[in-house]
Amino acid sequence: METTHDVPIWRRPPPEDTELSHQLEHERRQHLLLDPRYPLDIDGGVLKPMYRHTWRFWLVTALLAGLVLLFGAIWTTQMILGLGITGLNRPVMWALYIVNFVYFIGIGHAGTFISAALRVLKIEWRRPISRAAETLTVFALIAAAMFPVVHVGRAWKAYWLLPIPTQREIWPSYHSPLIWDFTAIFTYLTCSILFAYIGLLPDLAMARDHTIGWRHRLYEVLALGWRGTEREWANQETALNVFSYAIIPVMFSVHTIVSWDFAMAVQPGWHSTVFGPYFVIGALFSGAGAVIMALVLIRKAMHLEYFLRDEHFDGMGKFLLLLSLTWAYFYFNDYLVPWYGQEPVEKVLHQLLATGSAAPLWFLMIFCNVVLPWTTLWSRRVRTSIPAIFTISVLIQVGMYLERYIIIPVTLGRNEFPYSWGVYLPNWPESLITVGAFALIGLLYVLFSRIFPMIPVWEVYEGQVLQGLRRIGRALVPTKAEPGD
Amino acid sequence: MAEVQILGLFHEATPTADTIGILRQLGVPDEKITVMSGIPYRPEMLGRPRPRRRVALISLIGAGLGLLTGLFLTFGIFLLYPLEQGGQPITPIPPTLIILFETIMLGTMWAAFFGLLGENRFPVFKSQLYDPRITEGHIGVLAEVEAALADQVESILKDNGAHHLRRETSSPRRTDVRLTAFWATVAGAVVLLGAVTLLIAYDVLKIRFPTNMAEQDSTAYLQGPRRSAPAEAIPIQGPVLIDGQPASEPVPASAESVQRGKELFSITCAVCHGPAGDGNSPLSGFFTPRPVDLTSTPIQDLTDSEIYLVITQGRGGMPNMAENLGPAERWDVINYVRTLAK
Ligand code: HEC
Repeated sequence: METTHDVPIWRRPPPEDTELSHQLEHERRQHLLLDPRYPLDIDGGVLKPMYRHTWRFWLVTALLAGLVLLFGAIWTTQMILGLGITGLNRPVMWALYIVNFVYFIGIGHAGTFISAALRVLKIEWRRPISRAAETLTVFALIAAAMFPVVHVGRAWKAYWLLPIPTQREIWPSYHSPLIWDFTAIFTYLTCSILFAYIGLLPDLAMARDHTIGWRHRLYEVLALGWRGTEREWANQETALNVFSYAIIPVMFSVHTIVSWDFAMAVQPGWHSTVFGPYFVIGALFSGAGAVIMALVLIRKAMHLEYFLRDEHFDGMGKFLLLLSLTWAYFYFNDYLVPWYGQEPVEKVLHQLLATGSAAPLWFLMIFCNVVLPWTTLWSRRVRTSIPAIFTISVLIQVGMYLERYIIIPVTLGRNEFPYSWGVYLPNWPESLITVGAFALIGLLYVLFSRIFPMIPVWEVYEGQVLQGLRRIGRALVPTKAEPGD
Repeated sequence: MAEVQILGLFHEATPTADTIGILRQLGVPDEKITVMSGIPYRPEMLGRPRPRRRVALISLIGAGLGLLTGLFLTFGIFLLYPLEQGGQPITPIPPTLIILFETIMLGTMWAAFFGLLGENRFPVFKSQLYDPRITEGHIGVLAEVEAALADQVESILKDNGAHHLRRETSSPRRTDVRLTAFWATVAGAVVLLGAVTLLIAYDVLKIRFPTNMAEQDSTAYLQGPRRSAPAEAIPIQGPVLIDGQPASEPVPASAESVQRGKELFSITCAVCHGPAGDGNSPLSGFFTPRPVDLTSTPIQDLTDSEIYLVITQGRGGMPNMAENLGPAERWDVINYVRTLAK
């Protein structure tokens, strides 16, 4: 398509040929990056919803805040009365708190993966969704990092994890997987925050330029004086590249180390070499589902239909299907060796899952994680139907939560000594604390979305400038300019 | 002569690039021109020299610092404050690699972030010549020229399609109070946080947390759901010492048994009683009374069975070790403790 080079992209006239003009219309409806608008309208589309405080917003916020307060109250009670108020007892001393820890760390994987890996691979549809995903990563990691502290009971001793000189003259022992956990999560959390912040800088400047009052002052400070000079952009690009390449191996290391919390123990059902990659895939799987849920919710609540389109849910849906297939493969591998080995205690575990008291959990998990995605997600109609993909994502969360539940309390109930077998049932404190943790993530997310732009506007602009349509024969075909390195 | 800053806004990249070309011909050097945009344009697109990029180098230095930090945490500290852990090496390699990986990555990324701040001179609090329309997709060209050239530059910008112009006389460099205040606040916060952490860590600030953990509602040790004892049973709590009889079948003090005992001792007892068994370990200061000197005469005068009971049931500040050592292993340890006699 001919373009005049000094006309801005949002003002370029449609082709005169009616057929081509129809094709153009079609492409614009399909692809955000081919549908440029006047930038002020785009800025407005991101900024205006941040001012929307309907009664629904207050209701949701109040509800979530109430649950978070409940979390605090129960945690305090547990600190005073001791962990005895939970359902923890021999032999199951790791249960819901650790399940939550693993689950939330898992959620924290997708955001980085989407914004770092898809950035490195230059996958264009990631542009509008990266912020929502990164934010989810940060908040999920915060929630996850709390759980080991909740779990150990004496939370005020948490500083024992820090490598700081103390009067005890004892340093954290690096022999222990729990210290590996701490180091890895500290790295991952702080770097995810910085990564998200660097990408946020130009948008903070955009918000600064279009707001007044306290918001203006806040953005002015947070934008650090960003003007978008060539030097600033060049350095930002290098920094984002360094982060993208560095944070992907860190992400893999985090969930591998979480899996080693289990695999390093001689507990039947845990002592497995495939645990590392298997956990990483599980994390990405549940995380991708959670990102889809977050996208659906902010799209609805903040009217971001212009930015979040079918193509994004389609892409995420394919990603989800791929992860489901991979997860099933690793899960099978995790069973294969014990199954072949026929150790008595492993047989007991398998029977417990196949026909025993844990069978309902196990079959529900297989349904949610395997049967459901495999039978539905191959269809573009399902992937682009918002209610369908949302429901599937919710069920995948159920499935992945059950998976962790089966690995932790259910497995711990069986060991080599039948005299010390047991069954764990969640008691009210840990159940409510779990609900509170979900509420905490929701609350942080809701508040964040009213203060910070949830769509990386500059990335969308950039994509719109770089993407265009090229005429080949009778058809207009989307193309992308990929300048320089 | 005073310098003047002129900012013009353009709609598109092509006229911007053309204008920059003309300004260069006029003799305005590249470093006196700044282009500002809402999206990253490549320097080639605007006919500009490539800006210096040092962030990657800085992050490499960060990786090195991360490596050193990791080495200090894993090797340095443990060589300075050795803590015996059951015959394991003090600085084992595989876990060290894990920690090194994380600290290297941490160093890389933190350095990239601080490199970004430093290279961009962030944060900037003083007012800079700028136009909010730049984040609406306009491209700003800022030229710093001598006052004499100002009018000419302005008309060049206008003729080439700049639709908004701003002019400002460059002010001489002043130290920015707000920036100093910012860095002072940051430094103050870091020092305060560090100080409070250390005060708590060194028990200078003692926080008494209310806790009834000891009396919590829970199931006692090894008490599971089990059938109640028959009515005629005699209640006992664990093994007892019956006069003249060993607490359980003793293991003869052969060389192998002593060898096994030595190893088990280093795993289960040395943390408190010290590698030499003389009661000196990094932990011993935290017990009242302190872990006893096992080489001393009063302890060596105890019968084997008495030591067996101490291991099985614990005594005072010493926890019971029944979970860590089977009956035969307890005898191995006792045989080893006997070899410690002075
Ligand atoms: C957690 C630290 C700790 C560990 C581990 C430990 N001890 Fe002790 N031990 C103590 C303390 C403290 C005392 C002093 C107890 C008291 O008198 O209140 C003690 C006392 C003793 C005594 C003297 C008891 C008496 O009658 O006075 C013997 C014997 C002993 N320990 C043997 C062992 C052996 C053998 C092991 C290894 C299986 C071991 N201890 C492991 C802390 C420990």
